[in-house]
Amino acid sequence: MMRVLALFLLPVFGACALPTLDEAAFQRLVEAHKGKVILYDFWATWCEPCRVELPQLARLEAKLRSQGFELITISADEPEQAADAEKVLKQFAVHGPVYRKQAKDDDRFINSIDAKWSGALPALFLYDKAGQKVRSFIGETDMGTVEAAIRKLL
Amino acid sequence: MNRNLAILLLVSAFVLSAQEFKLGSKVTDFSVQDLDGKSVSFASLRGPITVVTFVSVQCPVSNGYNQRMNALFKDYTPKDVKFIFVNANRNESASDVRSHAQGVGFVFPVYKDAGNVLADRFDAQVTPESYVIDSAGIVRYHGSIDDSQNEARIRARGLRLALDALLAGKPVAVAETKAFGCTIKRGRKST
Repeated sequence: MMRVLALFLLPVFGACALPTLDEAAFQRLVEAHKGKVILYDFWATWCEPCRVELPQLARLEAKLRSQGFELITISADEPEQAADAEKVLKQFAVHGPVYRKQAKDDDRFINSIDAKWSGALPALFLYDKAGQKVRSFIGETDMGTVEAAIRKLL
Repeated sequence: MNRNLAILLLVSAFVLSAQEFKLGSKVTDFSVQDLDGKSVSFASLRGPITVVTFVSVQCPVSNGYNQRMNALFKDYTPKDVKFIFVNANRNESASDVRSHAQGVGFVFPVYKDAGNVLADRFDAQVTPESYVIDSAGIVRYHGSIDDSQNEARIRARGLRLALDALLAGKPVAVAETKAFGCTIKRGRKST
């Protein structure tokens, strides 16, 4: 019970800044969040379209949170950019669980999320309540389309 | 027009709009533009081994590789490897590319890909993203220059390993890696 609680609580921004995540941890995260509709946002401080999307995603999360939706952000920044990533998340009031990717093999990590994903950012992966990936949005994406896809799953 | 021909034409149109220069496929001639707007053909730029790399003026990841790209050029040009560095971003003009190249001290020319025609043919998504083409015109490597923005954490130098293998007449052990960086800012969709 405590381990499950820790998985949910520790990564919440403010409690523990940008815990790292590899492919195995990502799969555990998906398992732990079954029962909710989850949007995983892969972003980076150097990615301008990602920074444009972040506040929009934060607003979307606030709007749909009570209906069983959660936003989980995963920064692709290098360790030395982690503090900047933290600042950006604070600036845009992103309150959901936040992580930073730290994999031994980036190709393996990317393939484990989606073999068709080139690794280009921003990348959004939408999971249903059963923990199944149902849709991906790669590159600049219209938030109306994302919201409609989420609402279908709620 | 009969129905079968119509279907064939539709399928052909789809194929033409999809990625043309894939790993293992042959690169036919293409052209890019020099910074004065003059068209330059692949045929005039290619060598026994040719590297095509998509780069950016503004992307911090691409810029993180500026000196590594200079080093690649200096290390492999004497081995008769040719490099074609291409900027396909719609929001970066030839003038921007020229100023940037001078500012960061590129030792190689950078070409423009107007309308991201070449980026579409390679289906390049990010900067930097590289393709290695052998003497027969076949794409033998596609992906990142190496696996870390931070040089201290590089574990695999994918592009160098591919070039070394080809120069030694050996197959490329890891022919495809995931390129990472900023998405190419495309304009109109080329077909």
